[in-house]
Amino acid sequence: MLCLERRMLGLVGFIGGDLHATSGRLLRCTVRSSAVQQSSGSTHHPQRVWLSSQAPLCGHHTPKHRTGLYGPFTHPQQTLGSSRGPLSLFTQRVTLSQGPNTSTAKIRLRTRLVVTLLFGGGLLGTWWYVRNEKQQNHRMQRIEQLKKVALGQGDFSLLDHRGHRRTKRDFLGSWVLLYFGFTHCPDICPEELDKVSAVVSTLDKDRSLPAVQPLFVTVDPERDNVAALERYVKDFHPRLIGLTGTPEEVKVAGKDYRVYASPGPKDEDGDYIVDHTILIYLVNPDGLFLDYYNRMKDDVQIAESIRNHMKSYVKL
Amino acid sequence: MSAPNSNQRKACWGVRDELWKCLDDNQDNASSCDKFQKEFEASCPAQWVKHFTKRRDFLKYKDKMQTEGFELADGPKESRS
Repeated sequence: MLCLERRMLGLVGFIGGDLHATSGRLLRCTVRSSAVQQSSGSTHHPQRVWLSSQAPLCGHHTPKHRTGLYGPFTHPQQTLGSSRGPLSLFTQRVTLSQGPNTSTAKIRLRTRLVVTLLFGGGLLGTWWYVRNEKQQNHRMQRIEQLKKVALGQGDFSLLDHRGHRRTKRDFLGSWVLLYFGFTHCPDICPEELDKVSAVVSTLDKDRSLPAVQPLFVTVDPERDNVAALERYVKDFHPRLIGLTGTPEEVKVAGKDYRVYASPGPKDEDGDYIVDHTILIYLVNPDGLFLDYYNRMKDDVQIAESIRNHMKSYVKL
Repeated sequence: MSAPNSNQRKACWGVRDELWKCLDDNQDNASSCDKFQKEFEASCPAQWVKHFTKRRDFLKYKDKMQTEGFELADGPKESRS
């Protein structure tokens, strides 16, 4: 990239050098000799080598030369006779217009501007494209990492809060926000479910996004039967589905997501608190676990993250 | 015994917050907040009372660590033979 830049700058500088040649023969000479000085620094550059071939011409100026804009460059006989190389032919073609000198100067300026702008635009475009590729790579890497963790690969079969049997397959095709908890939870589960409800409501507002399905799976199947779940979920988002089952079925679902759950000691009322992992899991329409959110993430951040996942999912 | 519903939860949390505010105002002098304590125990299931009491203790401890600092305990000493 750097090499290409230098070559382009050399070209631009060379063209620019010609413009300065209007000031007089001496200046022309100086400019060309300075071009030679430039070239001596890096003789491996083909264009610079051509520039160096101009040097002897300084001394070859005859009074016959018109002090036109570009001196000897505007005389085809002169230029063809000398060993300029393709670069001078290029500039010569550009300058050989039939119009007056000032318009050729303007045309040259415009051409240079266009070339510079195009080149600048090209650079910016390349940078932007590379940056986007990098971001996409990062996202893919994270997804690969989470895939390796391979949560939620299995199938679960549970009863929803209306008593209907639901399996993982039933939820394929929609984005799922999954939370494990229990109805006797003092504060954390209601807070997290409020957060999930807020996230789903926020995303619902955006009509361009698919609907998210929130799920609440109990880690306390002994007490959280269908009726208990039905009472519980109605305090949250209307689409929230509560899921329960036999202790075995619930264990399978929990294990799938490596959910830790440990019922505490029972008190005299038979009440107990279940210690459990507090995470909200994001599952994509293919049933793949994509991301997780802990207590530190608020509903705005989670909604933003889900939006990004949805966008990159569509792209894939 | 069924789980508290949303209203009952909110009522419990409200009383808990009042109790904690009272304790904060009275430098954790439990006796001056006795009234709130009784209300708290009446509004919330026993397990929750225990849970929230432990939580308050933890929060106080965390505050203490953050403001007063702490000393790292000596780790287990290895015997070199």
